[in-house]
Amino acid sequence: MFYRQSGIHHTRYAATRKLWPLAADRRLLGGLLALALLAPLLLPELYLNSYLAPWLIWTAAALSLTLLMGIAGQLHFGFAAVMAIGAYTSIHLARAGVPFELALVGAGLAAALIGCVFGAAALRVKGLYLVMATLAMQYLVSWVIINVPAISGGAQATLATPEVRLLFIPLDGDTALYYTALGWTLSCTLLLLNIKRSSVGRALVAVRDKDFAAAVIGVDPLRYKLLAFFTSSFLGGVSGAILAFCYYQAVTPEQFGFNVSIQLVAMVLVGGLGSVIGAYLGAGFILLLPIVLTNLLAWVAGLELFPVSFNLIAHIPLMVYGALIIAVILFEPLGLAKIYDNIRKYFLVWPFRHAQR
Amino acid sequence: MDIAFLIELTINGALTGLMYGLVALGIVLIYKSSGVPNLAQGAMVMIAAYLVWMVAGWLGAPVVVALLVAVLGMFLFGMLTERVLLRRMVGQPIIMVVMLTLGLESLLRGLGPGLLGAAPKSLDLGIDMMPIIVGDVFINREYLIGGAIGALMIGLALFFFRTRLGTKLLAVSDDHVSSWSVGISVERAVAVSWGLAGVAAVAAGVMWGSVQGVDWSLTTLLFPAVAVVILGGLDSIHGVLVAGLVVGILGSVVPGYVDPLVGGGTRDVVTSLIILLTILFRPHGIFGREEIERV
Amino acid sequence: MKKTWLSGLLGACSALALGASLANVPDKEPVRFALLQDFTAVYTFLTNEYNQGQQDYLRLVNARGGLDGHPVEALVRDTANEPQRGIEAYNRARGEGAVLVDFLSTPVSRAAVNRVLEDEVVMITPLHGRGDASHGETFPFVFPMMATYWSQAAILADYIDTELGGLAGKRIALVHIDSPFGREPVPVLETLAERHGFELRAFAYPSPGTEQSATWSDVRRYRPDQVLIWGAGSGQQVSVREAIRNGIRPEHILSVVWLAEADAEHLGKHMTGVKRYEAVAPGRELPVIQAILDEVVAKGEGSGPEENVGSSYYNIGVATMAVAVEAARLALAEYGAPLTGDTLRRGFEQISNFDAEGLMPPLSFSATDHQGGGFGRVSRWDGGAWVPVTEWRSAYQDIVWDEIEKDAAGFRDGR
Repeated sequence: MFYRQSGIHHTRYAATRKLWPLAADRRLLGGLLALALLAPLLLPELYLNSYLAPWLIWTAAALSLTLLMGIAGQLHFGFAAVMAIGAYTSIHLARAGVPFELALVGAGLAAALIGCVFGAAALRVKGLYLVMATLAMQYLVSWVIINVPAISGGAQATLATPEVRLLFIPLDGDTALYYTALGWTLSCTLLLLNIKRSSVGRALVAVRDKDFAAAVIGVDPLRYKLLAFFTSSFLGGVSGAILAFCYYQAVTPEQFGFNVSIQLVAMVLVGGLGSVIGAYLGAGFILLLPIVLTNLLAWVAGLELFPVSFNLIAHIPLMVYGALIIAVILFEPLGLAKIYDNIRKYFLVWPFRHAQR
Repeated sequence: MDIAFLIELTINGALTGLMYGLVALGIVLIYKSSGVPNLAQGAMVMIAAYLVWMVAGWLGAPVVVALLVAVLGMFLFGMLTERVLLRRMVGQPIIMVVMLTLGLESLLRGLGPGLLGAAPKSLDLGIDMMPIIVGDVFINREYLIGGAIGALMIGLALFFFRTRLGTKLLAVSDDHVSSWSVGISVERAVAVSWGLAGVAAVAAGVMWGSVQGVDWSLTTLLFPAVAVVILGGLDSIHGVLVAGLVVGILGSVVPGYVDPLVGGGTRDVVTSLIILLTILFRPHGIFGREEIERV
Repeated sequence: MKKTWLSGLLGACSALALGASLANVPDKEPVRFALLQDFTAVYTFLTNEYNQGQQDYLRLVNARGGLDGHPVEALVRDTANEPQRGIEAYNRARGEGAVLVDFLSTPVSRAAVNRVLEDEVVMITPLHGRGDASHGETFPFVFPMMATYWSQAAILADYIDTELGGLAGKRIALVHIDSPFGREPVPVLETLAERHGFELRAFAYPSPGTEQSATWSDVRRYRPDQVLIWGAGSGQQVSVREAIRNGIRPEHILSVVWLAEADAEHLGKHMTGVKRYEAVAPGRELPVIQAILDEVVAKGEGSGPEENVGSSYYNIGVATMAVAVEAARLALAEYGAPLTGDTLRRGFEQISNFDAEGLMPPLSFSATDHQGGGFGRVSRWDGGAWVPVTEWRSAYQDIVWDEIEKDAAGFRDGR
């Protein structure tokens, strides 16, 4: 009913290859885009700068990781380190007077180059061993950042982001920061949507499904694995820089620790491995769930219905968070994206369920 | 060069390495039988330590009773985890299994400190704090006992694989389908290995809990344990013994000499490098079985 | 669609929460202090007691009629030491009218410094955060309010100099956790080493500090006359344990502020003689703590287990709120209601010689000095309690302020 399929005739190949062949999907997306663009007018400041902006930036990071984990099938448990390299590079470049646009590119390149070193492990091993190797690299990068004051910013280990301009617009105030984040996330989204239907994307998928088999059909796994690490780390590095400039505004080593890497992997998996909409849903879930739960529980505790220690209340979000990750993986291994897809499919033929193929 | 310094670093390192081995043992037992890399083992160690503290420190029972309760409790907990969570994951990609254990880790991280209090608890086993002094070498009694228990547990695990049940477990670790075909209950074998991992977690939790106190930071033992497991081979009990010693000794000797030069705690660097170099040059570890992949 | 749905839900939740808190509005607008702390991660070793002390003191203030009729309301949230959760909690609290925040987490407060300066909200960073925030002109809204780590190192060194036989010619070992916090005292001690001619060597152990044996084997061979231990949480008792095991007498161990009753309980008899810096007096005999016991805890209004009352970290919590309430009182008297971040800051800067009836050293703040003079004392564990061995004192503030100026200058050009 909402998603009317009747009357849609694809008479040209270009029409079938559209990203969104259904008019209803396009309208929905247009609506969402309009809402996202109008968000600074519609949303209270709190939800703009503490929910929507970080959600978008983490989505960009999750999308970068989706490219690597979901499309190319290379597991990565050190992505926060890649983002850290981007964040620190961009700040140091911007402080040295490099224009912000170039600093972003520099951040991406630095992250991509070091990210390829991570990738070197992927040429040798895969699966669990790759998880462990990237984990070890995460620790190494964190150690270097903490122990080299020239990188982390002296005795206080804090680097504030300098004032910069992006395309001649000064980057300050919630609105400017929000639009920058939105622009970057949308770029990542479009890139990912399109990479999936390019020859490169299909080659990556072939490598993911079985690298030996890909080699047999003439896809060089070595080249494509490195390409995946390079591209994904580039995007991750820029996302790290955007995170530093548009959200934290002061970077410390803890912002890119091991637990952040785990959170990013959780975003990709809980959202749905390889799905673009999944990255949005997963990032929202992992990032905002503890925050929402904390506030909800504080409100419930404020009612004083039953006596319970604050220690327990503070730990409940952690338990629920763990339990929900387990639940998603057990009951819907394809993630939140699949749940969305199920709902969409249901409405595609609603109310004529029997018509579903 | 001060030779006594080197000997002391080596001995204390070897003993801590064996104590890391206690954590690693649980991971290996589970991986060996079911191919599941249990990244929640650190959290299981923490839960075991909380359990012992709850019975001994809070309810005031003798330590022996607490140990028995904890062993039983963790054995059941391990079996239950396998039955409720991991059995449903058979056939899923490895990354899903890894994430599931990480979700479990988060759940346990909330559960233990949430219910029993997040402030560090002390777990006193009555071990004399004064070291054993041999010449100019000081040996830490707690580590000595911990290391001995580590070696003992690894020895018991080795012995266990020579028993009837252990032989079944070996068969299961070789091949699930052929085990089924000769009438071995793969499910039961896997469940038992989880239970045993729970028991190993009690040993690790008690020893580390007495050294550093019981709180969430016990979960950070996972990292050195992962190094032990990777170096020794994911499915090798011998590997735990040898790799535990190597990781412990390198993690003590190298920082002992390098730290003063770079002015930082380099042990995590050593641990990371052990993981990385092992994976780059011998991914299946010293004793691990090489997997053969077919298209 | 999803975005608006979610934010709608969130909005509804917060509206409900606000409604709930407005339901018991007394005659005057409440003063809101946001205690957005880490209850679940790195700082768990003290957060529960510290926060309990803060809340109990605010309840005492309210039981006595509030601040000039304004009740003081504590907004308590867990941030899990994660900057993004801290920032959300901060923005929410600010929306609800909080005029003061206390994160009790170095990473979160570092990430929040620029925001509080911009939003004109007072941030107190007692015993955490960046020490250079003592520089009032650079950080008008940040108050470390107790001795920075630099001042603590200076006091401990001064104590060794005056009462443990002098510094000249001695070997001092600084055994610290390998983190920016652990390295913080190094420059002050290095300057002192030059000035007094003693030998200083820093030993780092890896974070989180649960296994330090290799480091201490090295420390023992250095044969130090005095050892300063600089860590936090369970790493501290591991340090003391390893020190004693390596033949260092307890009397020669001096600790940063993070050593408390729980660590002593863990170590038993071996702990006797270990000394620490303390910023706030522990114990129940103090008038403020007695008042809390009589007027809050005895009525069943306490915010946590009674046995915590009077512990070191509990009393630190009480002290932070005593200072904050005093500042609010001065601000309300001088500038009247409503209390804003800016008037509260001015209130802080008017505090002079405030010691909360002997709970802490007399603190005085000014527009330039947000540290309050860098006072503290050394106390010794006598087997059952921490007993002070010196009067309240401060030391080498010239050196400390050189560091403060240097780092504050760094902050001004963007660090």
